[in-house]
Amino acid sequence: MNNKIKELRAKHNLTQLDLAKLVDVRRETIVFLEKGKYNPSLKLAYDISVVFRLKIEDVFFFD
Amino acid sequence: MLYISIFVLDLHNLTVKTMKNRKKRFMITFISIMVISLGYIYLDKGTELFKGLELIIVLLITIAGIIALIRVIKKDKNLNEGLPEDDELSTKIKYKSGYYAYMATMYIWVIIFILKDLFPDKQSMLGGGILLSALISFVAKYFVKKNFYE
Repeated sequence: MNNKIKELRAKHNLTQLDLAKLVDVRRETIVFLEKGKYNPSLKLAYDISVVFRLKIEDVFFFD
Repeated sequence: MLYISIFVLDLHNLTVKTMKNRKKRFMITFISIMVISLGYIYLDKGTELFKGLELIIVLLITIAGIIALIRVIKKDKNLNEGLPEDDELSTKIKYKSGYYAYMATMYIWVIIFILKDLFPDKQSMLGGGILLSALISFVAKYFVKKNFYE
């Protein structure tokens, strides 16, 4: 699974630390997500999409 | 030992008062504990402790202590930044590395029992095995984290 977290973060002027704080995970988790090394749980995917005010499928998608 | 404990506590309190950098404070306290403990053991048991198997055990304890300290510093940093200590990814890494560490430790114990004649006594054998198990769990966690892909 792929995602647009890095682009959306840049668009919203958020650092990895800011996003990690907003969704209550460690910064390392955001790093792993951006590298596509980790598929988040439904709850985390939902929380991240809420931060960017988008639908889950607009943030996370299959190639 | 009581005097050593009091001295280390005093030293930690002094560093808390004088130093703002938490990392440096941890380092100074940890190094002091290591130096004082090794000094005490050296005075108590003499140079025999730092030969052969005993030296390996002291080294294993030191390495385990350093790794534990690094982990405490990382957790402390996360807490300072307002981030959680654990989350879903760290839990998954823990489970996965726990499995690998368990498997590796079983083999290590088999090897230790095969080589039991090399150990001077049962305490050294058990102590060494437990220390090795701890180190294996640290190593497993490092490799699982490095190669994590899901």
